[in-house]
Amino acid sequence: MTGIGIDLGSRQVKFAALDGQNIAWLKSYDTIPFYKRYASRCDDRLLLAYEDLGLLTPEQWQSTPLTATGYGRNTINLSGANVIPEIQAHIAGARFQTGLETFTLLDLGGQDSKVARLEDGILIDFLMNDKCAASSGRYLENMAKVLDISLEELARHHQNPVALDATCGIFGESELIGKIIEGHSLEALCAGVNQTLIKRVAPMLARFAQDTIVLTGGVAKNHAFVALLRQFSSAEIVIPPHPQHNGAIGCAFLAGREQK
Amino acid sequence: MVGFTTTIPLEIIIAAGKRPVDLNNIFITDPNCHTLIDEAEMAGFPRNCCGWIKGLYSAALHHNIREIIAVTEGDCSNTKALMEVLQLQGITTVPFAYPYDRSRTTLEHEIHKLAQHFDVTPAQADEAWHYLNGIRAHVHEIDRLTWEENRVTGEENHFWQVCTSDMNGDPQSFQQQAKTFLEEARQRQPLPDGLRLAYIGVPPIFTDLYAVTEELGARVVFNETQRQFSMPYRASSLIEQYRHYTYPYDVFVRLDDIEKELSQRRIDGVIHYVQSFCFRQIEDLIVRQRLKHLPILTLEGDRPGPLDARTRIRLEGFVEMVKARRS
Repeated sequence: MTGIGIDLGSRQVKFAALDGQNIAWLKSYDTIPFYKRYASRCDDRLLLAYEDLGLLTPEQWQSTPLTATGYGRNTINLSGANVIPEIQAHIAGARFQTGLETFTLLDLGGQDSKVARLEDGILIDFLMNDKCAASSGRYLENMAKVLDISLEELARHHQNPVALDATCGIFGESELIGKIIEGHSLEALCAGVNQTLIKRVAPMLARFAQDTIVLTGGVAKNHAFVALLRQFSSAEIVIPPHPQHNGAIGCAFLAGREQK
Repeated sequence: MVGFTTTIPLEIIIAAGKRPVDLNNIFITDPNCHTLIDEAEMAGFPRNCCGWIKGLYSAALHHNIREIIAVTEGDCSNTKALMEVLQLQGITTVPFAYPYDRSRTTLEHEIHKLAQHFDVTPAQADEAWHYLNGIRAHVHEIDRLTWEENRVTGEENHFWQVCTSDMNGDPQSFQQQAKTFLEEARQRQPLPDGLRLAYIGVPPIFTDLYAVTEELGARVVFNETQRQFSMPYRASSLIEQYRHYTYPYDVFVRLDDIEKELSQRRIDGVIHYVQSFCFRQIEDLIVRQRLKHLPILTLEGDRPGPLDARTRIRLEGFVEMVKARRS
C-alpha cells in the first residue's frame, strides 16, 4: 500500500487505499454511526480506532502514509494523518481518476456543491455553495423521502420536469407536496426535483469554461441529473469510475506522493 | 455624544465640541455584540435584514445616544427605516446624504446643513479639518508600514483605519496612541514576505478573519473601505475631501481606487466581503468582471462571531490556490 486517503464527509466517511497507480480498495461508512463507533476526542484531536476498522493490520496502519480531508481543515485534527483542504483532495482525485489536466470540476456531495477550474494541472479558481444546500445529495434524499421512493427511482427521470423553485431544501418539501396535490405524475415530479439541481448549479458553472466537466460526488450517480446537465452544458461530461470516493482517492494519491 | 451610522464629515462634530461615536464601532467591539442583534430582532427587525443595521439600533439604545446623524444616501436605504425607528424612541436624527453623482454643489449644501444644525461656522469646520488631517497622517503612515515595510499586521492596520472614523471619540488621545504605536512598529523586524491579499468591501462582521488569514500564511496589506475612513487624499478643501471619498459613491469610483492600490501593493489575491442581505452583494459581479486578472474570493457574513466552518474551508482553499498560482 502506498497511501490511504480518508474523506470525512457530511453524509459518509470514505476510505481509499492506493497501491501505486492501482486502487487497492474503497470503503464507506455513514457519518454519524461511524463517529459514534470509531471516533473519540483527545486534547482537541480526533482519534480514530484504526484497528477496530479492520481495514488494515495494525502494522500497516503504522507504516502507510495517511492523508485526510473533510469538513474544515482546522475543525478536524486527525491523529496520525496529514490533513489537507477539500478542494485540493478533490482535484487530486479527479486528476488521478481521469488523467485530465484541464477541466472544470463539478463536485456535488452530501451538502456541498463545488466548482473548480484546472488548467494544465493548476487550480485557477473555485466556487462553493454557501448558505443553502438545496443542490446537494442531502436535498435529493429528502425529496425522495417526500415522494416515498428510493434515491435510485428519483434518479431515473428527467423528462417533462415540473417547475420547482427550491430556494430552500425545507420549503422545497412543501412546494413538492403542493405539486403532488395538483396531480402531476411521479415521473414529472422526479424530473422537476432533478431539474432544480441544474438551476442551482448553473450560475456557479457558468463562470467557468465549458470544455470538459468532470462530475464527482454522490450526485454523479444520478443519471437524470447527468442527462439534464448534458442538455444545459455543451461540455464533454466525464464521470470518473468512483465519483463518490474521489476525495478519498485524491487524499490517498497525495499521501503516497508525500512519501516519495 | 453624537452617533453616526457610517462615516460623515467628522470635522463638523469636532468643531461643535461634541464627542463623535461611530455606532458600527461600538456595536462590533461590544463583548455582547451577538445579543445586540437578538435584541433588535426581538424589537421586530426582520431576520433577513443586514446585521449592521440591527447592531446599530441596539448599540444606540444601549449607549443612550440621544442624537444621531443617519446617512440616508451613499449607504443603504435600510438606514432610512432605522432612522425612523430611532425617532420613535425619542432620539434626534439628522439625515445626511452623499449625492450619488458626487455633485459638488449638492455635497456642499449637505455639509452646510449639517454645520448649521450644530452651529458650526465654515471657519470652524476648516480649522477642524486641518487639525484632523494632522491626526489622519499618522494613520496613513500605519497603512504605509503595513504594505510597504511589512511591519504592521493586516489586523492592526484594519483596526487603526476603522477607528479613524470617530477617532475613538477623542481625537487627542487617539493621536497620542497612534504616535506610540508608530514608534513601536517602526522598531519591528519586517514580517516574513508571505501571500499579499487585499480586503475589499465593508468591514467584516467576522471577528477572526484577519487572524485566521495570517494563520494560513497570508496577510492583508490593503483594507479598502477601512482605508477610506482615514481619508487618504491630498484634497484642496473639506468639500473636496468628501468628494474624493469613494465608499458612498458608485462602484466604479471605488474600483478605480482599488485597481490603483492592487498594483501598487503587489496584491496576489482579493477577498471581497459582502454582508448578507446587502445591496452590495450584487456589485460582486461587477467587481469580478473588472478585477479579472486576480483570484477573488467572495465571503459573506451575517452575524458577528468567528468564521463558520464553511467560510473557513473556502478561505483555506483560496489561500492554497493563490499559493499554487504564485509558485
